[in-house]
Amino acid sequence: MSNDWLPEAPLIINFALTNKCNFKCKHCYSRNDPDDELDTAGARLCVESLKEAGVLSLNFGGGEPLLRKDLLEIAALAAGLGMTVSMNSNGFRLDRETARTLKTAGFSKVGISLDSPQAEVHDGFRGVPGSFERASNALGYLNEADIGTSISSVICRINYREIEGLIGLARKTKAGQLNFHNFKCTGLGYANKSELDLTPEEWKEFYKAALEARKNTHDLNISLDDPIISSLGESRAGSLVKGSVCGKLSLNIKTNGDITPCGFIPLVIGNILKDDLHQLWASSPVLERLRNKKPTGKCASCSNYEDCLGGCTARALALTGDINSPDPHCWK
Amino acid sequence: MKIFRNPDVMWREETEHKQQALKALADGGEAEEIGASILFLNGTMLTLNLLGTEIWSRCDAIDPDRLVADLSEIFDVDTETLKADVMDFLGELQEKGFIRYEQ
Repeated sequence: MSNDWLPEAPLIINFALTNKCNFKCKHCYSRNDPDDELDTAGARLCVESLKEAGVLSLNFGGGEPLLRKDLLEIAALAAGLGMTVSMNSNGFRLDRETARTLKTAGFSKVGISLDSPQAEVHDGFRGVPGSFERASNALGYLNEADIGTSISSVICRINYREIEGLIGLARKTKAGQLNFHNFKCTGLGYANKSELDLTPEEWKEFYKAALEARKNTHDLNISLDDPIISSLGESRAGSLVKGSVCGKLSLNIKTNGDITPCGFIPLVIGNILKDDLHQLWASSPVLERLRNKKPTGKCASCSNYEDCLGGCTARALALTGDINSPDPHCWK
Repeated sequence: MKIFRNPDVMWREETEHKQQALKALADGGEAEEIGASILFLNGTMLTLNLLGTEIWSRCDAIDPDRLVADLSEIFDVDTETLKADVMDFLGELQEKGFIRYEQ
């Protein structure tokens, strides 16, 4: 299949239901976002529009989705319409009973943020004492409720040499998957960049070790979907597109219904309650630019450009103001 | 043995692309490279061409021989070649966890 194949509608939507959060994460991308949220009726209309457009999978984020009182109602609507429903949570409010209600509402998977195998490091990064223990317990409750689980670790200075420890943590908590999310310089992540971000050489060190660990780990699914790993000979099997998936397979919906290519790219292409998603997907000038990036700087002569397409567009935009700039994490 | 789709697979026919493939075939052209549907399971995504889509959409408690017989009524290919292609494709889907065989 040719690489310029584009689905007729996004497959996956990340929907930020609320920006409210009970945590104080140092890298939060939405901490400074506006508080305005769709009400229940608006959120329901949003879900119905997504179904009509053909979206297959809806992932709730934010903010902390469990702070939204109508989460179960909205999730149940999406699941009832045939979409796969999941969310990312810090797990702090996720007890045994909540896990059961999530299952009843139709959640098939919940990702829990855990950034270190050391409780004090995780708690310090997330700004809430006891959060490590609550997150670990949440994974157990989700497993009991027969909901698929994953650990989401934001890779940054506190943990980039903790790969084996994080794998051990995933095994101990019986998480089904371990996601290594690359650090983004958006929101507080931008403000705290010098404290948290790695140098390009350190990113290379991390990815080489993580790819090796993934190759040698057979009892756990390890995900590290960052376009720049293609320069390490990684084929990114299973991905239908090259470069960033944002705007090619997935989109993000903000709390007020505004649609962006991803949660880290603050370019609004429309609003889910005012615009036709199918039409936006097909004709948005922003998406068109993201799907047809032009190599600049060192990318122009790089032999890996065809595979990585300049790496993470969000990082390039955040640090240079130009989506076509080389990914600042790139070590080449 | 019958073939069953893995219920965890998310999938969608790409209506416009499928029409494009059908038109290409009707015009005597090639449609092998046109993705007519998309499958998604645990982070692995597949696009299927027209033949793949027709196979996948029938993988609902169907016997492999019945499947080949059904497809031979749609595609103008000799049965042995069609059967070989279908079995290869089913083997790939099974290996990736998209289908399973059951009594």
